[in-house]
Amino acid sequence: MTVLEQTRAPRSDVRPRRSPLGSRWTPYLFLAPAAVFIGLFQAVPLAQEIYLSFTRTSLLNPTRSTWVGLENYAHIFSDDDFHRTLVTTLIYVVACVIGSVGAGLLVALLLNRNFRGRGVARALVTVPWAAPGIAVALIATWMLNPQYGIVNRFLDAVGLGVPGGAILDSSTYALPAILVTTVWQLFPLTSVVLLSALQAVPRDLTEAATMDGAGRWWTFRAVTWQVIKPTVGLLALLMTIWSIRRFELIWLMTKGGPVGSTETLVIDLYAQAFDSKQLGTAAAIGMVGVVISLIVIAGSRLVTRAADKEGLR
Amino acid sequence: MSRLRLGLTLRIVAVLVVMGVAVFPLYWMFVTALSSNSDLFASEARLLPDFTQFGVFADALAEGETLTWLRNSLVIALGTTALSIGLGIPLGYALSRFSFRGKALTTVALLLTQMLPEALMVVPLFALFNRFDLLDTLSGLILANAAFVLPIVALILKGAIDGIPRELEEAGRVDGARPLTMLVRINVPLIGPSIAAAAVIAFFHAWNEYVFAVTFIYAPEMQPASVGIASFIGEVGTPVQTVMAVAFMFTLPAVAFYLFAQKYVVAGMTAGAVKG
Amino acid sequence: MSKPRVRRATVAAATVVGLATAVSAGCGSDSDASSEGGVTTLTFAASTFGDPGRGPQLQEWIDEFNASQDEIRVEAASVPYPTFGQTVLTQMGGGEGPDLVRFDMPEFEAASDAGLIAPLDDLIDVDQYELLEQPDRFMVHDDVRHGIIFEASNYAMFYNADLIPEPPTTYEDFFATAQSLTSGDVFGLAFRQTEAEEAGVWQDIFNYVYGFGGAWSDGENLTINAPENLEGLQAYKDLYDANVIPRGADAATFRRMFAEGKVAMELNNGGYATHLRAESPDLNFSAAPIPFPVRSQGAILAPIVINEASEAKEEAATFIEWALQEENQVALQEILGASSVATATERSPESLQEMPFLTTFDELTESSLPQVVLGFEAQTPDIRKIVVQNVIAALQGEVDLQTALDDAQEQATELVG
Repeated sequence: MTVLEQTRAPRSDVRPRRSPLGSRWTPYLFLAPAAVFIGLFQAVPLAQEIYLSFTRTSLLNPTRSTWVGLENYAHIFSDDDFHRTLVTTLIYVVACVIGSVGAGLLVALLLNRNFRGRGVARALVTVPWAAPGIAVALIATWMLNPQYGIVNRFLDAVGLGVPGGAILDSSTYALPAILVTTVWQLFPLTSVVLLSALQAVPRDLTEAATMDGAGRWWTFRAVTWQVIKPTVGLLALLMTIWSIRRFELIWLMTKGGPVGSTETLVIDLYAQAFDSKQLGTAAAIGMVGVVISLIVIAGSRLVTRAADKEGLR
Repeated sequence: MSRLRLGLTLRIVAVLVVMGVAVFPLYWMFVTALSSNSDLFASEARLLPDFTQFGVFADALAEGETLTWLRNSLVIALGTTALSIGLGIPLGYALSRFSFRGKALTTVALLLTQMLPEALMVVPLFALFNRFDLLDTLSGLILANAAFVLPIVALILKGAIDGIPRELEEAGRVDGARPLTMLVRINVPLIGPSIAAAAVIAFFHAWNEYVFAVTFIYAPEMQPASVGIASFIGEVGTPVQTVMAVAFMFTLPAVAFYLFAQKYVVAGMTAGAVKG
Repeated sequence: MSKPRVRRATVAAATVVGLATAVSAGCGSDSDASSEGGVTTLTFAASTFGDPGRGPQLQEWIDEFNASQDEIRVEAASVPYPTFGQTVLTQMGGGEGPDLVRFDMPEFEAASDAGLIAPLDDLIDVDQYELLEQPDRFMVHDDVRHGIIFEASNYAMFYNADLIPEPPTTYEDFFATAQSLTSGDVFGLAFRQTEAEEAGVWQDIFNYVYGFGGAWSDGENLTINAPENLEGLQAYKDLYDANVIPRGADAATFRRMFAEGKVAMELNNGGYATHLRAESPDLNFSAAPIPFPVRSQGAILAPIVINEASEAKEEAATFIEWALQEENQVALQEILGASSVATATERSPESLQEMPFLTTFDELTESSLPQVVLGFEAQTPDIRKIVVQNVIAALQGEVDLQTALDDAQEQATELVG
């Protein structure tokens, strides 16, 4: 399944014109419908956004733009608030990835045993992933309601109550609260995927290790972790990308507040575009986000490649 | 022996806790919907649903446009699923079985689209939709949603097709079957679980989508449920019970659909995204 | 060559796209201001259609119009209040959107400044109506009329008459009342103080600034950090710090609390009265002027406008003219309660008996100001964002109030250039 095989195959074929998978145009024909579609609805708007990021454009009159060169970029990078936004985004993304993959792994290990009702447990645990973001934001906000929310009542009862209970109204607790909500929604997906990855762990190997008196932690690291590592890596990448662009949950719960403590790149972008009506600045913020994501992807490819090489040795 | 039993007990407790954490917010949505005002704003929480308040569901269905919203959401979700699967299968096949100039670029481009936030694309898409008369239509939302979910669908399907031994196509090759025939006859039936997984992802994406829906739709009878629920959030007051009742009715079909498709999703995600 | 194959693949590709289009197209489309069978359908967007207390009645009011017309139909579009401005302005900026819009003042100013609102002078002959002067003067910019008042609503102090037999008449009294009534799960006062409710916080702090003799501008320059503003906002912050309000509660929650007798006082606009009556018929509440040193308070002015991009401006104007007819103004007035409408209407004896405090609201009209920054009307939403963020930073204890206002002044001055 290497690229090499495929490129050579037609040449070595006896009937070069009837190569096994059709002419050299065939892949493009399979590709074309999707390419046209994605081009029209993703590439064209993206190109427009790149252009917009070099202009001053108002939401109220988007067809009239003034070219300002790098002004928008210079503006956001010299803005302390934007630096805080970048830091908040970083914290949010890293915590989401660690939280969702970590919680997913724990739950997967927990459910990767035979016990009665395992099917029910697996099904119920994955329910949060299916809940619509809007509904989650609504119920989370209600549960976190300072006066009548069940969360505060519970925290008060166990003596951990936040003074006044205003969790989402506190620049200290709002971000953690949003993080917990996000992880609650994400861990089902990671645990389901990790659970099936765990099926590939050779049971006799772990059993043998345990027989040899190896500790659980050692067995996990030496056997289980090696098998699920690629899956964890892929999930981490997916969670990173999705967390960078997550919008509804944060917007509906705090709108980025209080005092910018939950303002991630996408929230900032949306506020710039639709509150301040500055499409140019918003586009520039968006481009920063895209570049960051690209770096993440490139970085992950490098890591994967390095890991592959190590594995070959 | 007792240590073993302790471990087992701990494990059972842990499983129960995880299940509780997973399900509680949805349960609480249900309880909140079924609360009287005095219970809702009492100093002690009522932990069980008050079934005498069941009328809130009937009211939400009868008075509001809840059914219209749910129907619109369903149309959008099904349309998005059909479109993205229809376009995603050939794309995934091309990426899996062929090598061609620009393949690496295509893959990177697909990943790139996964990072574009909807909020960034709203304004240019609005102009585009305006030109094509797609504003205020469900078809417009289907196209927009499909464009956003197609890349991940294609990548999942590519991974799945990667997993099918090429030898299976050899037989077809000898018979001189065309690539399209081979794709439809040989590959598609074998990647059923992955198609199901991709379909579930596409369905959820469209079922939940809010940013496009709230901007591209203004006729009330075209609103999907995500926007409809938000419209209860009023300037002077928000009827908590009604909102929660509608939110619950909005959540339930997604959860049911998910539970129904769950075993395919697991198999498909594993075959597709993970190995891919 | 592989020609036949190519053709077949093309056909296949075309089929996929065709199928997709068919799936999409089958879902039906409904374009704006559509004419079908000689009937022009207009969309009228407002956030108030979603209000439980008023939405259904407003719908009935519009149904009256539809019943009176053969060729025009108005459809109410309830756009969620939290995203109303963003949604409608995006649509209008893109040359689309509803035909008729009920705006709040800041968005109205921004939209008319950007030329998104149709001038009404040639569409409606306003001279034949007796429009209320004070609110109506904000509808005209440089002799061009952009809107007609749909609803004007002055701010007053709502209080629970069971908890407060005699309403406070001075700020000290007000503070003391709020403090003495706060105990357990009952709060003396409630106002908006979270960033998620930016527009609401702006409305609420407006009363504190104007009630202490301040203003956001002198008409030429911004005066955000003026001493009077500091005094007024210090009062707002003192109440916050004194814990006499349910902190973190959003308006939906604390209004429900007011209805349940768990909040004793609230500064709110007249539109709230009808809402309370409809939602909580048993609640014994009343309203009095806000007891701050200066009798000056905010007013919600909500103009109805015609979208410049509408293809049916004449028909939209027909609807506004219908709305301005006396009996329809009276009907609208009854629905909106303590708010007033575009023209002076006589309140019915029944509603006066039910809500005797209605006259209080009418008397406040002269001293009420729309919640915009005078002289900087079109930039109000941007100034609002800056001010609210800085004031909340002060509430949170990140900076002191003086610094917050200085910062806001500086940022806003830079913004307006």
